[in-house]
Amino acid sequence: MKKFNICILTLIVALMAACTTPVPSVDRSKAPLPGPAPKLQIGQYQMFEMENGLKVVVVENHKLPRISYSINLDIDPIVEGPKAGYVSMAGDLLGAGTASKSKAQIDESVDFLGATLSTSAGGVFGSCLSKHRNEFLSIMSDVLLNPVFSAEELEKLRKKTISGMASDKTDPNTISSKITNLKKYGEQHPYGENMTEETVKAITRDDVVGYYSKYFRPNAAYLIIVGDITFEQAKSDASQFFAAWQKGNVPTHAYATPKEPAANKVVFVPLPGAVQSVIDITYPVDLKPGTQDAIVAGVLNNVLGGSGFQTRLMQNLREDKAYTYGAYSEISADEVIGQFSAGASVRNEVTDSAVVQFLYEMDRLVKEPIADSTLQLIKNIMTGSFARSLERPQTVANFALNIERYKLPKDYYETYLQKLNAVTAADVQAMAKRVIRPNNAYITVVGNREVLEKLKVFAADGKVEVLDAEGKPFVEMRPAPAGMTANDVMKKYIAAIGGEAVLKGVTSYDHEGVMEMMGMQATMIDQMETKGRRRTEISLPGMPLYKAIYNEGKSVMLEMGAPAREFDADEISNARKECDMLAELHLADYGIVAELRGIESVQGEDCYVVEMKKSNGELRTAFYSVASGLLLLEREVKDMKGEPVAEETTYENYQEVNGVKYPGVRTTNAGGQSFVVRINKARYNVAIPAEQFNVNQK
Amino acid sequence: MKTIQFLTVALMTLGVSTQVSYAQKIEFKEFDLDNGLHVILHEDHSTPIVAVTVMYHVGSKNELPGRTGMAHFFEHLLFEGSANIGRGQYAKYVENAGGALNANTSQDRTFYYDLLPSNQLELGLWLESERMLHAKVEIAGIETQREVVKEEKRQRVDNQPYGNLFSETLDHAFDVHPYSWAPIGSMADLNAAQEQDFKDFYKTYYVPNNAVLSIAGDLDIAQAKQLVQKYFGGIPRGTMYLPAVKEVEPLNKGEVRDTIPGKDQLPMVVKAYHIPAQGTPDYYAVDLLNQVLSQGQSSRLNKSLVDQQELALFCGAFTYNTEHPGLTLAYGLANMGVDPKQVEDAMNAEIERLKNELITEQEFQKLRNQIENDFVSRNSNVAGIAESLANYHMYFGEANLINTEIERYMKVTREDIMNAAKKYYVAQNGVVLYFLNDPTLMKQ
Repeated sequence: MKKFNICILTLIVALMAACTTPVPSVDRSKAPLPGPAPKLQIGQYQMFEMENGLKVVVVENHKLPRISYSINLDIDPIVEGPKAGYVSMAGDLLGAGTASKSKAQIDESVDFLGATLSTSAGGVFGSCLSKHRNEFLSIMSDVLLNPVFSAEELEKLRKKTISGMASDKTDPNTISSKITNLKKYGEQHPYGENMTEETVKAITRDDVVGYYSKYFRPNAAYLIIVGDITFEQAKSDASQFFAAWQKGNVPTHAYATPKEPAANKVVFVPLPGAVQSVIDITYPVDLKPGTQDAIVAGVLNNVLGGSGFQTRLMQNLREDKAYTYGAYSEISADEVIGQFSAGASVRNEVTDSAVVQFLYEMDRLVKEPIADSTLQLIKNIMTGSFARSLERPQTVANFALNIERYKLPKDYYETYLQKLNAVTAADVQAMAKRVIRPNNAYITVVGNREVLEKLKVFAADGKVEVLDAEGKPFVEMRPAPAGMTANDVMKKYIAAIGGEAVLKGVTSYDHEGVMEMMGMQATMIDQMETKGRRRTEISLPGMPLYKAIYNEGKSVMLEMGAPAREFDADEISNARKECDMLAELHLADYGIVAELRGIESVQGEDCYVVEMKKSNGELRTAFYSVASGLLLLEREVKDMKGEPVAEETTYENYQEVNGVKYPGVRTTNAGGQSFVVRINKARYNVAIPAEQFNVNQK
Repeated sequence: MKTIQFLTVALMTLGVSTQVSYAQKIEFKEFDLDNGLHVILHEDHSTPIVAVTVMYHVGSKNELPGRTGMAHFFEHLLFEGSANIGRGQYAKYVENAGGALNANTSQDRTFYYDLLPSNQLELGLWLESERMLHAKVEIAGIETQREVVKEEKRQRVDNQPYGNLFSETLDHAFDVHPYSWAPIGSMADLNAAQEQDFKDFYKTYYVPNNAVLSIAGDLDIAQAKQLVQKYFGGIPRGTMYLPAVKEVEPLNKGEVRDTIPGKDQLPMVVKAYHIPAQGTPDYYAVDLLNQVLSQGQSSRLNKSLVDQQELALFCGAFTYNTEHPGLTLAYGLANMGVDPKQVEDAMNAEIERLKNELITEQEFQKLRNQIENDFVSRNSNVAGIAESLANYHMYFGEANLINTEIERYMKVTREDIMNAAKKYYVAQNGVVLYFLNDPTLMKQ
């Protein structure tokens, strides 16, 4: 009976299951098998050459009513030297005014069509709806053929470029790419040189015009037309809009071939406050586009870290160790010189561990052949990616351009998948032995200072080259001359601002100035008598913001929104010190211990770094120019209601009155705010009315 | 002078001849399964690929305080595996099939996609149905992805110039609505998330009646329907209560103004204003207003702040499209040596102009031409089409807006744009943030 019961139950359960899931049975335990592989159709292109030498590639695609046009220069890259930046500026300025239209007019006419137009050193690119073809081409050909490169637009662009570089100084990826290019190609190579504020300032209009007139020539260019247009229309458009473009002799260039380093070198750029290290392991590789080597190198790169989640770098550094959001590699083919690069952004504390894993994965590629299953996976990934790329009509145009530029067989892309399929695991390992160099790489890290020490082990010579964001040697604090003390720096300072004799003779001063803060201008008054009286006042018209008076031991502090009070002990000590023109010569009397730390550069000027510690523990670091002796910068961490607030003050524009020097401009930065004080009236040894120092005020 | 007149005339003539000819019509079929899953299919044989996508109606606005970043963290975990897919094998199936996959999380939804060769459609359906039916998350996976997501936050936010722009703006703009945090969440909350949180989240939100399955590409509609039924038909409807976000952020709360100290050297000015939800008539007016301000080099902010006055290195304005009332943002990065106040004043001047004068007829025609161009260009790939169809269904209940939303833009008048400026671009409805350099943060 018992047995029978169980059978019934089983039957009921089975029936219930059948009732509640009236769907075709699914075997969820295994991935479904694919259908027959679809055939890939690569779109066709047509081509012709105009009399001026312009080669025109046309890809017809009528799916959407739009067309893209692109002029691509096929020229050798240029070494720009002390004027680095002029080539890219020429490209930008191309769209900034023609003989008949201002930049504003060009912008307006392009935008009015809802079209896009951009210019660069390598050509011009634009797109529009097919119904606006004629209007658009007339603008594009005007921009290409009749640019004026006005001095005014050049100055505007220069200003923007310099601002842009300032903005780039805190971007770790921009810094990394500048530094790695500099190291792997060298500063004498077009791929290695970087523009700086100095080189951008040196660029003239002639440089820009010269680039355009030498290199923007139809016989060194392709016109690529893709979209909703027939070949015949494209042909007649080309002759209507681009036949007037004059051919010319375009210079060619040759360069020394950059080489990988003889042994691993480590380069570090400190980025204050960084919470990640941007790692790049990189070196030049000789690899030409369109070769079977380039296809094999593509497979190799996809094993290591090309794209997707299955690569060894992703599996190791992300999925296994969680060091990073993503780790990638690149092996690029290039007519001049190719490159290898592998990198990631990783948190500070795992920086060295991540480098170990990068080098491990590189080494493994050289030492072990890849498994057949890995090879198949990579071929599948690359086949899929090739197929997906065909969705963009632009891809066919790129294929055409590559076939022409690199002189590839016409069926190069038709037979690309066959060539890919022919790659063997042995080919891949042989390529790894040639292009994977775990012992001949630049290992570059942009990040927090705290990671620097642990990078030394990766350098063959045990040394880390420390660079600044522009690739110049990073200037660390250097030791001050032997035997020199803080007291010597103070003596130099006193001498610089007038000398002991003159300062001793000072009885009073009266400074008046303007303080700018948050877009407002306040009046500032600063008065002092050396017998021990001092008054500081900041006010807006009709609104006193701050008043502090010290009068031989008595004092009053009036701050907006706070009741009047007397100075505290620290404020009294400060006031006493400020009434002493020679205070720096006997700081100990004010409870300050000064120590000379070394020499550091401030805005390009070498400074003695003096740390001043008060008895209450507050620390101030002052920077005195080695050359002039003057105080240029002070840094301090102040206590604001229990919160440490860092403050930085720069002193500039020193003026002289009665033989005494004082800074005409003082800028304080604190908590993201900036306060600028400009002294516009300064008098010394004048009588100040006694009521100015009256402490019985409210 | 003559040149300018000539140009204007030429452009006006062109404007007359500009008949709006919309892009190709996107045909699609849609239906609901019994379990509530909404399915949209679009057939296009141009390229032998197919995009299999699932959009879940859950984003960071559904997170609870103390668990910010949960929706996005969870998105990472849903690549770990399922009852039938071993840990770490999910992506391998797709890539081995020659496909690519990824996902992203916004404040309103989470979107997964697999781009496959068209003969692998069934694989995509199996994978996505496994994810919906019985995803499996192990402790090891949680701990790994916790660190990965934290690295993502460092890479995209903490270690990026002005990377905090978005989160600071949201934080200052919203007091009651959960749009006050960005989808990436906070480090503390990412650290705090527990296994049980994920289990609850999955059970509540990852259910067919809270999702849209949108498939586009080289497929046969009838066959695709059958396969969808086969893999998704048996997934049970969700049984948990789907909590709705009810908080409404009021307009005109009073101006919020703050400075954010940072390491970046140039000051950035951000002005944000509260605006209505996407899809409302005023939303379209605001969107066009932003286009007047910043689409193209001839747009007002670019022309005035960048080209003419040289106050800003770049600037822009955009509508942050959200399901609930959200924000419109305008920003300007000050050139070196320029006081951010000047940048703000110049931005204000352009905004005031929009309140006081109608935009010109020519400018209005420019907007319409730009809209048309953008519309034509939008649906150029099957992945984008699948996502748009899902979006339009999820937020508007009308997938066909992929073809017709342009009419809503075309309905906006010059007066509507002026009224939007007057109504929303006012001080008491906005946030002004200055991102300023604090040199003291540059010390090592």
